[in-house]
Amino acid sequence: MNCQEALEHLYEFLDRELTPDDERRVREHLTACPPCDDRFDVEQAFLRFVEARCRVQGAPPELRRRILQDLFGA
Amino acid sequence: MLPHLDTLYRVALRLTRSPADADDLVQETMLKAYRGFDGFTPGTNAKGWLLTILRHAFINEYRRRSRRPETMDLDTAEAIAAFPEEGLADPRERFFDQIVDEALLRAVDELPEAFREAVVLSDIEGLNYQETARVLGVPVGTVKSRLFRGRRLLKGRLYRYAVEMGYVKKDGT
Repeated sequence: MNCQEALEHLYEFLDRELTPDDERRVREHLTACPPCDDRFDVEQAFLRFVEARCRVQGAPPELRRRILQDLFGA
Repeated sequence: MLPHLDTLYRVALRLTRSPADADDLVQETMLKAYRGFDGFTPGTNAKGWLLTILRHAFINEYRRRSRRPETMDLDTAEAIAAFPEEGLADPRERFFDQIVDEALLRAVDELPEAFREAVVLSDIEGLNYQETARVLGVPVGTVKSRLFRGRRLLKGRLYRYAVEMGYVKKDGT
């Protein structure tokens, strides 16, 4: 696998959507190619950042109460 | 069903971009789900099923109200979305640390809706491609391309924000 092919699989790799075979091929390329490895790292850091920061907020307790009241008269 | 409430609320908030509308949309979704429980197949993905109900309710009843004029057309948006990856190689953790939650959420909210919903379902709520495709009613290939473009746009906006705030210089250092 060359750099171009690896980059084409960037998101499928990070999203764990590749077949085990393709995943192994990407991993082998990353081990052998520090620039690609770095590029993948940056993307991974970005995705983790978005997930972690955007998931902090949850449903307000008042909404939860209203729904329980609606559904179960609790 | 209440275990998925946080997910439903976050998705509702990103779709409607209004806490009051998000409250109503989630409440309505839960009522519809409860009444239509026979439409649910046990053993299938409850979260996906609830999100599909929520998205339909949003499209039918809330979308018109929450629609904001797009600030730029998609092609222009993509042209300026370039993200100088190499410039972030060293202080990348610091780069992300400096972006405050509010700026990130605003950047997500400013994405065009088709990209926003893909990013929210996949990147924030952790649905896989297949689950995201099912909720959005589009093929998996479309999900992949919307994620690719949505992520690119989001990175571009965050980068511009970082430049404006003086966290990085224009050349990415």
